[in-house]
Amino acid sequence: MADHQTQLVVIGAGPGGYTAAFRAADLGMDVILIERYDTLGGVCLNVGCIPSKALLHAAKVIDEAEAMAAHGVTFGKPKIDALKLRAWKNEVVGKLTGGLAQLAKQRKVRVIHGLAKFASANSLVLDSGETVGFESCIIAVGSEAVMLPGLPDDPRIIDSTGALELDPLPKRLLVVGGGIIGLEMACVYSALGTDVSVVELMDQLIPGTDKDLLRPFLKIVNPRYEAIMTSTKVVAMRSTVPGIEVSFEGKGVPETGVYDRVLVAVGRRANGDQLEADTAGVEVSDRGVIAVDKQMRTNVPNIFAIGDVVPGPMLAHKAMHEAKVAAEVAAGEKSYFDARTIPSVAYTDPEIAWVGLTETEAKEHGIDYEKTRIPWAASGRALSLGRAEGFTKLLWDKETGRVLGGAIVGPNAGDLITEVTLAIEMDADAADIGLTVHPHPTLSETVAFAAEAFDGTLTDLYMPKKR
Amino acid sequence: MATSIDIVVPDLGDFEDVEVIEILVSCGDTVEREDGLITIETDKAAMDVPSPENGVIEELAVAVGDKVSAGSLIGKLKIEVGDTVVIAPALIHEPTGDTTVLGSSARAARRIQKSGGVQTLVVPNLGDFEDVEVIEVHISDGDNIDVEDPLVTLETDKAAMDVPAVVAGRIESVLVKVGDKVSKGASLAIIDAVAVAITVSEKSPAAAPDTTQTSASAAAQTEAPARQQPSSSPELASINEAGFSRAHASPSVRKLARELGVDLAQVKGAGAKGRILHDDVKAFVKAILTGKAAGPVGGGLPTVPSIDFSKFGEIEVQALTRIQKISGPRLQASWINLPHVTQHDLADITELEAKRQSLKGPAKERGISLTPLAFVIKAVIAALQEFPIVNSSLADDGESLVFKKYIHIGFAADTDKGLMVPVIRDADQKDVYELATELGELSAAARDGKLKADQLQGASFTISSLGGIGGTAFTPIVNAPEVAILGVSRSSMQPVWNGSEFEPRLLLPLSLSYDHRVVDGAAAVRFTTFLGQKLADVENLLQAAS
Repeated sequence: MADHQTQLVVIGAGPGGYTAAFRAADLGMDVILIERYDTLGGVCLNVGCIPSKALLHAAKVIDEAEAMAAHGVTFGKPKIDALKLRAWKNEVVGKLTGGLAQLAKQRKVRVIHGLAKFASANSLVLDSGETVGFESCIIAVGSEAVMLPGLPDDPRIIDSTGALELDPLPKRLLVVGGGIIGLEMACVYSALGTDVSVVELMDQLIPGTDKDLLRPFLKIVNPRYEAIMTSTKVVAMRSTVPGIEVSFEGKGVPETGVYDRVLVAVGRRANGDQLEADTAGVEVSDRGVIAVDKQMRTNVPNIFAIGDVVPGPMLAHKAMHEAKVAAEVAAGEKSYFDARTIPSVAYTDPEIAWVGLTETEAKEHGIDYEKTRIPWAASGRALSLGRAEGFTKLLWDKETGRVLGGAIVGPNAGDLITEVTLAIEMDADAADIGLTVHPHPTLSETVAFAAEAFDGTLTDLYMPKKR
Repeated sequence: MATSIDIVVPDLGDFEDVEVIEILVSCGDTVEREDGLITIETDKAAMDVPSPENGVIEELAVAVGDKVSAGSLIGKLKIEVGDTVVIAPALIHEPTGDTTVLGSSARAARRIQKSGGVQTLVVPNLGDFEDVEVIEVHISDGDNIDVEDPLVTLETDKAAMDVPAVVAGRIESVLVKVGDKVSKGASLAIIDAVAVAITVSEKSPAAAPDTTQTSASAAAQTEAPARQQPSSSPELASINEAGFSRAHASPSVRKLARELGVDLAQVKGAGAKGRILHDDVKAFVKAILTGKAAGPVGGGLPTVPSIDFSKFGEIEVQALTRIQKISGPRLQASWINLPHVTQHDLADITELEAKRQSLKGPAKERGISLTPLAFVIKAVIAALQEFPIVNSSLADDGESLVFKKYIHIGFAADTDKGLMVPVIRDADQKDVYELATELGELSAAARDGKLKADQLQGASFTISSLGGIGGTAFTPIVNAPEVAILGVSRSSMQPVWNGSEFEPRLLLPLSLSYDHRVVDGAAAVRFTTFLGQKLADVENLLQAAS
């Protein structure tokens, strides 16, 4: 007999894990939630989305104050107290994770701290030696930052978790990896006064997104950053007394550079292979990923997996939706993960957000589409924010006029993309969006403009050729 | 253990009476599953009928030149059971209702990769029992069954248990009947299985031997299929996922569709721009459910195009009467749901009419209008007594017939508000004068709109007489759930050959529409012939009356 017995056990208390546990408890299941760290919330709350957004907010305030100098409002040079900033960030995190513990208690979800491994298809064993018997299990063990192989053992080489510590603020930072995580941290450090360089192996930042999204972004960051090196390989790193000496290989890049800190943000790896899941018969790929069906079931019917550990983008909002499906199916409901699309956002300045079909994908798969693109220079609100570099782009099905995808670059793009996401899920067409009254003056109007442009009813810009 | 099974012609699509052009085996031959047994030829193609199992041909029931259809017997096959067989633990129900045992049952699950094709369903390991009696058979030939549907119920001295299906598919033939004694491995049925990867979850009471599994063995079972891609549960298999995700439906509608197992790719949206609404999903399910009960009626009937008539000239819109609004959908339901056939015949009422004329005057003095319809009703009653199936109804589930021991005759009455059908109760207990009296009273009440609800209910057969107006024949719509309706047109004097000469005879056209699911053509024509004889022999008819 196991030390603990339950209907449902959830391994991992990140956004996917706690959502699954809470949903299942709300459906009347007896639930145990296992977390290897001391606090609930996983990467997202502790060392990911939330703390990074606190720091990004600070960065935004600094940048905007500085930008107003050109328009006649001048502040003094900001004085950065990194310790105090860090304490505030930690306070935000503490509030949220503490809130989670409270939510678990209210739902009578039993939280056990420990590292779980499978003992069979119906039981787990913890590092404490305790055993947990279950009828159903949801694997929500997430992912970890990947470290490049062969790096010197040096505390000045950090991952995203270390980067959030701001300890101490470096003078010169190299970000290895031009993906969302690397660019967000670059944004924070740059605002706090660090000279930032970014190096990316591929020929563009945020590989896979439409290249036009990067142009407004580069217009803002190019003058601020020391260097952005694409198609560049980091071939070696050496610990030296003045800093980390990094050797590059690429066109028009310095052979070496010495940095106070090197942030390695080259990707994340699913943690599916840390569970001895094969003991339960669960198939795990050699990259730690666990395949699931539309009901989030693994190949073993009573074991589910959600979040970063299953295929798809590693995003908290994806994990949370998958979590509800898995919890509902475990509780006997006929739920499926039927979302058409999952929006992606880089909370950089400017923000970059996209959802649904991208032009890159459309070209790859030969999908016929029509594009309408509204430069924010046409938006009164964008101009009054002093930010005219962004744009809103929507992709349309030529025949039905339905929106297939969209991308937005500019301040608050992450909030604005939601309308496009809803439009895709609701099968809205250009008329549906264009005939919806959008408040003036807002950035959201640019979405309506893009719809009107497709319909040929746009008046805020002159677009010849349309019907 | 050997058993012999019937080999039948599988469903051939739309063909019937297909010729056997070659016999490929002879008695005593050993055949393997899928080996050709006979070759048949339709007007489109020749095809082999394969053996459903490995075995030895015991008997052949067809010869070259025979005509066969789906279900025709080809022969008998002696099969060894156990070789191709999947054994699943039974779902055991304790007859004592000891729910605590069931409630604490350990749950294990395993996955069985089933290929499609013809397979034998057998009795699983029953523990220590042998020669267990079959007390109920839940399947019959041609049934479509799902995984875990009960096949038979077995009763041991300790418990009754259902044997569930381990594969989904169509039952080719049932090999057992109630009262048979079976043991482990005995064949229950031949199934044409659907190829799916299925998940069988086993709910085994802790007390049941052989079915309780330790976690370790459950894990061991899952190891083998672990290399497969995770696949869908059975409901998922029927949904066209690509079409589902493209369907013009919002997330909440998709959720409802998932709950009901509806493939949105097949649903037609009634919303703006073809958007699928919640109601469309519900209507789709309803259509399937009623379709199942009433035969192969699909949802989504094609609609009549709407036309703006005012484009072509002046128009005036008038609302349907209340009665039209009620009767319209009922007529349409009957027209769509019942396979209608109409049998036409002529009855010689020369003598009947003469008799009626002689009785009319005296009846009139008693205040009775002795119409021809009263005599027709009298004859219909005799025919219904002779052919009770025409006085029956099909049960809601389409599985049985309901025979009515009463005869209530409805008759269509034309009123200025629309068609009404008043009912003469217990018509078989009334003579022709009483029938005529009631006909008059009910017709008057119908015209005055004074019929009570119970005067419009309970008919077991309906007559629609248009003879007073004219016509030579028509095809009335059955007043479902009745199974037949008699239409009467105008009688006319016609020359009839009596063997040596033409003779003027008064002939009454009869049109019997009937539900072909219940009444077949031969029965219908026997009914009208009998009716004609009754109408021709007026003396007999009136004697029977009194």
